[in-house]
Amino acid sequence: MVALVTAAGTLLLCGGIALLRLSWLGKRPRNLPYLAGGWLLTGGGLAAFDYAWNAEVGTAYGLVALSLAAYGIIALGIENRWHKAPKLRDIALEPEERTTNWPRAIAKALLSIVLAGIAAIGVGVAFAVAMPMATHDRMVVGGLLVPILWGAGMAWTLSDAKLVRATLVLGSISALGYGIAFLPKVLP
Amino acid sequence: MEQRVEFKARKRQFLPPDFVRAMLAGHSALGLAFAALIYVVCLSGTVCVFVLELQRWEQPDAPYVTRALTPDEVGAALRAGQAQALADNAAHDLFIGGPNPATPRFSVNYHDHETGAEGSWLADADGRLAARVKAPFSEFIGALHMELHLPRTWGRFIVGLTGVALLSSLISGLLSHPRIFKDAFSLRWGGSRRLQEADLHNRLGVWGLPFHVVVSLSGALLGLSTLIVGVLALAAYNGDSVEAFAAILGPRASADETAAPIPDVAAMIRHVEAQRPGAVFTSVHIDHIGKSGQVVHLGMRTPGHLAMANHYYFKGDGTPLGDGGLETGGVGQQILGVLQPLHFGWFGGYPVKIAYGVLGLALTIITHTGVTIWLARRRDKGRPVPHWERIWAAVGWGQPVAIAASGIVALYAGASFVLGTYLATVVAALLMAAVMPSAAATAAVLRLSGAAVFIGLVGVHAALWVGRIGDPMAWIVDGALLAIAACLAMPLARRTRGRPLGPAPRLVVGEDRPSSRDYQTGRPQTTFRRDRARQLYIRGLLCSKASNRSSTT
Repeated sequence: MVALVTAAGTLLLCGGIALLRLSWLGKRPRNLPYLAGGWLLTGGGLAAFDYAWNAEVGTAYGLVALSLAAYGIIALGIENRWHKAPKLRDIALEPEERTTNWPRAIAKALLSIVLAGIAAIGVGVAFAVAMPMATHDRMVVGGLLVPILWGAGMAWTLSDAKLVRATLVLGSISALGYGIAFLPKVLP
Repeated sequence: MEQRVEFKARKRQFLPPDFVRAMLAGHSALGLAFAALIYVVCLSGTVCVFVLELQRWEQPDAPYVTRALTPDEVGAALRAGQAQALADNAAHDLFIGGPNPATPRFSVNYHDHETGAEGSWLADADGRLAARVKAPFSEFIGALHMELHLPRTWGRFIVGLTGVALLSSLISGLLSHPRIFKDAFSLRWGGSRRLQEADLHNRLGVWGLPFHVVVSLSGALLGLSTLIVGVLALAAYNGDSVEAFAAILGPRASADETAAPIPDVAAMIRHVEAQRPGAVFTSVHIDHIGKSGQVVHLGMRTPGHLAMANHYYFKGDGTPLGDGGLETGGVGQQILGVLQPLHFGWFGGYPVKIAYGVLGLALTIITHTGVTIWLARRRDKGRPVPHWERIWAAVGWGQPVAIAASGIVALYAGASFVLGTYLATVVAALLMAAVMPSAAATAAVLRLSGAAVFIGLVGVHAALWVGRIGDPMAWIVDGALLAIAACLAMPLARRTRGRPLGPAPRLVVGEDRPSSRDYQTGRPQTTFRRDRARQLYIRGLLCSKASNRSSTT
């Protein structure tokens, strides 16, 4: 039974992705049935995995299968362009051109790696110390917040050309985070 | 991630072009800064998914167990392990790992963290120690992925930071890809190298996103845990990291070092089995074994959960101390339980492991293509960096050669020379890149070398173990290694045989000589419609600026 529903879920996912690709090839509004059907089958496929295995395990299996099904469908639809020049619309958007120098590059690195990290750890530890949750929950969720916030801070500081703004924001977040985290220690 | 340009003033976009271009600049900077580290961690991580199979391949005459163990068999292994640990003067902490969905091996490990003495054994199904673990190649791969062979604290921190950089790249990549749905299925092969690499980079990145996020997040958390818990300990545990870890990972042994009988693990297993029908033994860890302060962490797996096991805690005399809630506890406990299996793909047997192998390889390709897109963009803009093209080819294609060469040395000479071989091969690949005429030539030589070394690895393994292979996994791994060799060599054979004879038309803008060659194929790039290409390029930039203006007004 489990194997059968898993196989059905896999087929539904493949069918869903295939329909989404058909929708992608067509034009609106004619492709709307494919679009709706594609998402419906994809959702059905994930639901089938959940039904077969339970939500915890089935979701993990379903998402892995979804990625592989999409890779497979994309590989089947590969477009050979050996004899074609790239079209104008294919040219990639250029990254922002910025004048830079070593001091600025070092400042950026310090901001994105060090200060963003300090701020993220501050928020994570503040969460782990101060949130009204069970000890395990606040410690693990607080820990999980650190790489997410650090990564987001890194992405933001590297894309923001204004160094002072990033420094002020991250500095303020750090002060707030560590203030909350260490407040119980300094209070009598 | 690469983004296609919008030339027409279209309807208002979800993400403003200025924002996208800024994100793209940050994405490029971050990717370039961490590219080599991320690449090594991703490639070694992909191999690590199969590290338990590699262990079996390295020791194919060792016993393996394909059924669940009985409590008495675990008890027998514990007694045998403790006797051996005493003989080796390493009786302090003892760990027994039973067969589980990730591996059918029954292992016994002991370690004295004060003297550093330790031992690892494989037991048969009756709990008798049958052979010392000898898997230097697997240990090398594991340490490369988790610590980059640096001192443990620093190594884990740098790998954790690499995970953060990867996570950050995923965030900035998504935010610089507003045509995520419009380009959802594009994979254009051939023609413009930059377009091909961008399509591959984006498709593999977007459709594998759940996997990429999970492995980078869990990897970052595992790597940074010491740092995070250290700060948490300062804030809430008077600087005592051990106490802070104990709050998460369960009780640790007390300092009472007076002698005591070793715990009756069989009774503890029966106790859990009575409480949780269907629970199967997976592991037991005894902190300060044979001392009055000893604490037992018993791992028992219940079907229907991602966690490899829940941990049940006991005092040495068998008094229960609760459990870790890794299967059915709070959110934090369950997250803790799934971190390792979700990171390594050890939760669904071989189908999931193979899927993780494919997705891990996809993440490695994404990292590699990220840099090649930047290199191709430089070349398209008439500012090629041929030396960096060669270096990146050496970094990318040198790793498989270095890993396989390390494997050969590990099989022949043990652990002593493995790291040296790896580093020497990496340096040799970089030096070779310095004298090669192009990135294409560098890649071709390294791919062929890689294929040869992988075949050599299988040959060495066969020569060492012929007639003594009892574990069928060894044959499967040998087959997989030969398949990798074929994958490394096959595109080169096809290139010489079946590619179109004429060079594909390129969108070339630069006039300088280096840009007249494709940096990967080494073929001359045609000057076909170069003036037209320049016009299109300039028009593209102008339209992009016009689009920016229209979106901001």
